[in-house]
Amino acid sequence: MKDYSLITPEGTKDFLFAECGTRRAIERTIEDIWRSRGYTEVITPVVEFFDVFNRRESSFPQEQMYKLVDRKGRLLVIRPDSTMPIARMVATRLKDAALPLRLYYNQCVYINSPLLKGRSNQIAQTGIELIGSSSRLADLEVISAAIDVLSACSKDGFSLELGNIGVFKELMRQLNVSVDVEEQIRQLIEEKNYPALSDTLDTIGDNDITRALKKLPRLFGGAEVFDKAAKLFADEKITALLDNLRSVYEEAASLCDTGVVTVDLGMVGRTDYYTGIILKGYLSGCGDAVLSGGRYDKLLAVYGYDVPATGFAVHVDAITGLHAKQGALSTAKHCDILVYAEEEYATAAIRKARALRAEGKIVELSLQDSLEAARLYAKENGIPALVVIDKNDEEEKQDAE
Amino acid sequence: MQNNKPLRIALTKGRLEKDTIGLFESLGFDCTAVREKGRRLILPIPDANLEVVLAKANDVITYVEHGVCDMGVVGKDTIMEMHGKFYELVDLGFGRCKFALAGKKNENFYAGVGVKTIATKYPNVARSFFAAKGMDVEIVKIEGSVELAPLLDLANGIVDIVETGSTLRENGLEVYEDVAPISARLIVNTVSLKLRQHEIETLIQKIEQELKEREESK
Repeated sequence: MKDYSLITPEGTKDFLFAECGTRRAIERTIEDIWRSRGYTEVITPVVEFFDVFNRRESSFPQEQMYKLVDRKGRLLVIRPDSTMPIARMVATRLKDAALPLRLYYNQCVYINSPLLKGRSNQIAQTGIELIGSSSRLADLEVISAAIDVLSACSKDGFSLELGNIGVFKELMRQLNVSVDVEEQIRQLIEEKNYPALSDTLDTIGDNDITRALKKLPRLFGGAEVFDKAAKLFADEKITALLDNLRSVYEEAASLCDTGVVTVDLGMVGRTDYYTGIILKGYLSGCGDAVLSGGRYDKLLAVYGYDVPATGFAVHVDAITGLHAKQGALSTAKHCDILVYAEEEYATAAIRKARALRAEGKIVELSLQDSLEAARLYAKENGIPALVVIDKNDEEEKQDAE
Repeated sequence: MQNNKPLRIALTKGRLEKDTIGLFESLGFDCTAVREKGRRLILPIPDANLEVVLAKANDVITYVEHGVCDMGVVGKDTIMEMHGKFYELVDLGFGRCKFALAGKKNENFYAGVGVKTIATKYPNVARSFFAAKGMDVEIVKIEGSVELAPLLDLANGIVDIVETGSTLRENGLEVYEDVAPISARLIVNTVSLKLRQHEIETLIQKIEQELKEREESK
């Protein structure tokens, strides 16, 4: 049998020192933002029943889930997403809690992605869920949290992108085609595959709806998008959706001091899940969105509790990677004082170390056999001071250099 | 977030590279550095603020997906086989050929109930073609001349790129059915399009204009 004891599975890795420190620092920064807005942390299990993620109304692609079987032969998965378990939790355990609920999480999700593409299968995410309000203010609250996160994590500027999945859904309702064709059109819009989208829509016919759908993926950018869109859509429902998006966009832009707010009406990912305003955040230098989310008013109903909700997740690993690339990793090992005990003075040394720590110093106990070795260790690890505890319990404080 | 960093475009080495450079030259870009590249793999087109990266087809997709290249030129064949997350904005019209199902002449591929064996360099393309027909097939991945597989009776048919069909004819094979048309595509990283929208859209408008003129002058 082949021995795999020395490597980690594809798509996973160890986080060491600076990288680990940076990731935790980013998590702390973001968690402070959540807490300062009144969000409370929840933790859901790493394993859940397959059924949680396999609802007819809103399912997760099964080939992307890690699966296990429990002792009773039931199918389990390692959570590929945190929002669905939180929806399950709220729909069962918090059914009687006062609304709105403000929840946050900081936990990994696991996605079994294609091998050798350089993508992680274990993805650190932290995010918020605002449950129980369908108001525009709730949308704006979530968007402003996203702006705060992006401002706190960006060095060269950021961009927050808004969309409304309702526009696409309304167009598809009016077009009235089979589920397969709808999925094909959705995918082509999502990929901004202009030529293939035109070809597909031409086979359906030339009318107001197909003409609008052809333009949908091209409708992204700044405020000018709304003027372009206004010329395309005469429909009352869609106009109302766009007016709402426009006012949210303008309010978001006014809340955004350092970055840019944009819109993309061609954002049509996960249509079975999102129901209204959706958002994505980008940082310059990162090849993928660093945060994504939106309104999902029908998800909790899937678990039997019909309340609206919105939220988003931040991809902590992506931000960590970017900070590493930009050379902004936090310093590695940090220690102020090394305490060395001559033989038999261990407890005195430990007491001394405790006293120094009480003063706020970071103190390591030397495990070296000789003072010489302790000096060398302090020098190699950049520890500025060495304290020696010997027979007189005298302290010899000296520069390690 | 305006910066003057050049836009990086990955080109599939070989014919698509030459056709793309031809296209850039007809847009008036000075591609001397790319023409006289020697062994270098990253080359500037300074007047268009572009940087050309030369790569194998599969790698073009990988570089664009990760955002280390903003754009790429790659055949639809590679996109269909590899998939990936990027925007596929323009059909460049050159590098035209097709995926086809082929096999020995004068044989009825679909006859009988036995599971057919398909030899191909493109297992994903072959699998999804037959999956759409609701047909179970055995797929054998071949690296070199796929035409050999039916001749040696390893496979009932092949799914492969067909340009003129002369290799098939010379070996006593024929196309049974077309699978999909192929041509070169301009792909763009999803974040690059948003963060550098103006530059990329300007370039694309120029390309679309040039392609339209070429189409009309035909």
